[in-house]
Amino acid sequence: MANSEPSDSAYVIETMDILDGLEAQLLDLEQDPNLDAIDAVFRALHTIKGGGGMFGHRTMAEFVHHFEDAFDKVRDGRLSVSSQLVNLALRARDHVIAMLNCGGDGLDATALANSGAAQQLLADLKGLLGAQTVERVSEKPIKLWKITFKLAPNALLNGTRPELLLAELASLGATQVTLDGAEVPPLERLDPTLCHLGWTVLLSTREPRAAIEDVFIFTDDADLEISEIAADTKPETVYTLQETSQNCDLEEDAVRRPSKEIGGDFVRVSSVKLDEILDQLGELVIAQARLSQIAAESHNPTLAGLVEEVERLVTGMREVTLSVRMLPIETVFGKFRRVVRDLSAELGKDVELATSGGETEIDKSVIDRLSEPLVHMIRNSIDHGIESADGRISAGKPAKATVWLSARQEAGDILISVRDDGAGLNTDAIRRKAIQRGLIAAEATPSDLELHQLIFAPGFSTAQTISSVSGRGVGMDAVLTTIRALRGSLDVKSNAGRGTLVTLRIPLSLAIIDGLLVRQGAANYVIPLASVDECVEFDSSEHGRESGRTMLQIREHLVPFVDLTQAFNEPTSLERSRRVVIVKSEGLRLGLVVDDILGQNQTVIKALGPFHDAVDGFAGATILGDGSVALIIDVAKLARQVAIAHGALRRAAA
Amino acid sequence: MTTQLRIAADRQLDAQVVTSGTETALIMRLSGEAFGIAVGLVHEIMDPIPVTKVPNAPAFASGLINVRGAVVPVVDVRERLRMAPTLPGSAARIVVLDVEIDAKLTRLAILADAVEEVIDIETSYTEPVPDMGAPWPEAYVRGVARNRGSIVVLLNPETLFRPDGGRSSNSESRT
Repeated sequence: MANSEPSDSAYVIETMDILDGLEAQLLDLEQDPNLDAIDAVFRALHTIKGGGGMFGHRTMAEFVHHFEDAFDKVRDGRLSVSSQLVNLALRARDHVIAMLNCGGDGLDATALANSGAAQQLLADLKGLLGAQTVERVSEKPIKLWKITFKLAPNALLNGTRPELLLAELASLGATQVTLDGAEVPPLERLDPTLCHLGWTVLLSTREPRAAIEDVFIFTDDADLEISEIAADTKPETVYTLQETSQNCDLEEDAVRRPSKEIGGDFVRVSSVKLDEILDQLGELVIAQARLSQIAAESHNPTLAGLVEEVERLVTGMREVTLSVRMLPIETVFGKFRRVVRDLSAELGKDVELATSGGETEIDKSVIDRLSEPLVHMIRNSIDHGIESADGRISAGKPAKATVWLSARQEAGDILISVRDDGAGLNTDAIRRKAIQRGLIAAEATPSDLELHQLIFAPGFSTAQTISSVSGRGVGMDAVLTTIRALRGSLDVKSNAGRGTLVTLRIPLSLAIIDGLLVRQGAANYVIPLASVDECVEFDSSEHGRESGRTMLQIREHLVPFVDLTQAFNEPTSLERSRRVVIVKSEGLRLGLVVDDILGQNQTVIKALGPFHDAVDGFAGATILGDGSVALIIDVAKLARQVAIAHGALRRAAA
Repeated sequence: MTTQLRIAADRQLDAQVVTSGTETALIMRLSGEAFGIAVGLVHEIMDPIPVTKVPNAPAFASGLINVRGAVVPVVDVRERLRMAPTLPGSAARIVVLDVEIDAKLTRLAILADAVEEVIDIETSYTEPVPDMGAPWPEAYVRGVARNRGSIVVLLNPETLFRPDGGRSSNSESRT
């Protein structure tokens, strides 16, 4: 980072994180204005303001102060949560991002603070504060207490039951219990009638100190220490404390150690460094493959053993490195709540976003590039797909429309789909437009499926009017470009009057995969192991069947097959015993006929570069142990290519 | 490997040379003809290694090689210049270049029948290829220079290595 003040840039990064979270917190608050949600928003604002003053963002801190004030009032019950307030806060949040980006105090920041937009925000806020009748709620703010207690050794003999004490504390609020067993003597000296244990309880409660002291009223001789933890010093500690139910399970609580949530050892690492580690690892994998090859040729058992050890270590290293880069896709999903909220307001359509599979993990570099295409897809759904409320009711649908965003893993791919319950693609309009633009001939009779694919053509839009949201025809084309750059693919399904489903398929990792090495002719190819189902012998009589049948009987199923030589436009193979690799793609199974199967390997994926990007059927290239280059077969693309070729043949015959 | 001569030319130095009216070029031979390419673009010169063919790839970039752990496309200059293909002889070399394609520095390799020398060329003495002087598409050639009485064809890396063949620059049509 080029910034001369590392603490300042760290503040900016952290504040960006907080602002990211703030968006979700505000939306949560709007849906369910409970006290925890209010607290979370307040703390976020408070942290931003506090840091801003310290790290040269005083102008911004002053701006945030007004909103912190407002949420302080909400917290005290003097202001109620309204959609206007959330609206204002969301807009203020966007403004804070702008102020943060202009690099701290200075002319730019002052100009932003004095800009019409900012003044308008503050004026609106003032109006809102004034308009609300103040009604005081009797609830007191939540405070965080640290209670350390150790019972007297003979306490158990006297009938004190520590589990009841803990349960009683838990009834006051959310607790996190840590057990101190440091003074338990070795087994031979242990007196089971004495109490050797101590407990530390973190309690967040609205009750006063006296209520906590009351819990220990009958344990006079216990070592007791109650201290309040100021909310300001450790905000993250407070809101990670989960509100556990009143009759919380004691055992479970004792087990749930705070190690992960409270003061956990997290390190912030620049993603550039992660990329570097991955690059180095890629080189290591290739070097290791060469080493294995040399060891196999040398027939030296000591070397072979050592090489095996190295291979094991490299594999472990690879798994750890890749897992470090994995993030749940939720981080992207969160952003779309705001998109849907703003869009539905702008277009006057009542739309709800439902998400599922947010826990699906995906490589960080992929996540970063996914949000833009997904925004496009959601916009398309809401703007084009979903009808107006009247239209929906007359079509017999509920007035409130739903957009579903879901993610799941399938073999080595992540599938993300955007589905809406709108009108579906208008095939007639697409057809008219396609003829008009010369994409298809006027007399052509493409299937609906083929027509649907046309929405990915550059500059294609059937929208009559250009709205601020869409209609310029850059959308789906741009989406496709981004997804292709991620070695992924897009699929669209539409059901007239029922809705549209766009599915995006991207590989789990862009760096290293497990591959199956096969040989065809003089060349070696890698098939991603995640899409390989099984390998079988190829009966050469299957070839050149007069009927033209290209299907194999695998147990009780029929599986179509394609000869790699055919797919790659190469001369027919003369080898006698060939093999079939059965791969699966998009729920279908397909046999790839190859000359030989060489084995499994770790494959470092390298991009093909500008000359071969347009060549279909390959996901990239890799370097093998002998230093030669092998192409990585893109099973999904190859399967689709074959399907299209077959479909064209069959339609031509029909 | 005797001919692994690595030309790690200092590019800043080259830039200075160019402004003073001379240009340093690497001379390689294709089908008997001498072609010059700016030395600043040359990353290294290698002995031939096996090329992995990319099925269904365009003819001018039909394969890939491994250059120090990087996968590098092999571009067939002969194909671009409409010359007949030949089999590589014993003097054949792979010239690895770093060329800017679509504003991105891209490493690529070309096959040469032989690599001969590095010469200084007076830029003021270069002349355009006369009409009907050769079948090469005009866009791929910057001009012709003289080197000790014989002709050196200066290649234009900006158009020669464009994946679309510089078609959008609309100068390939020459009848």
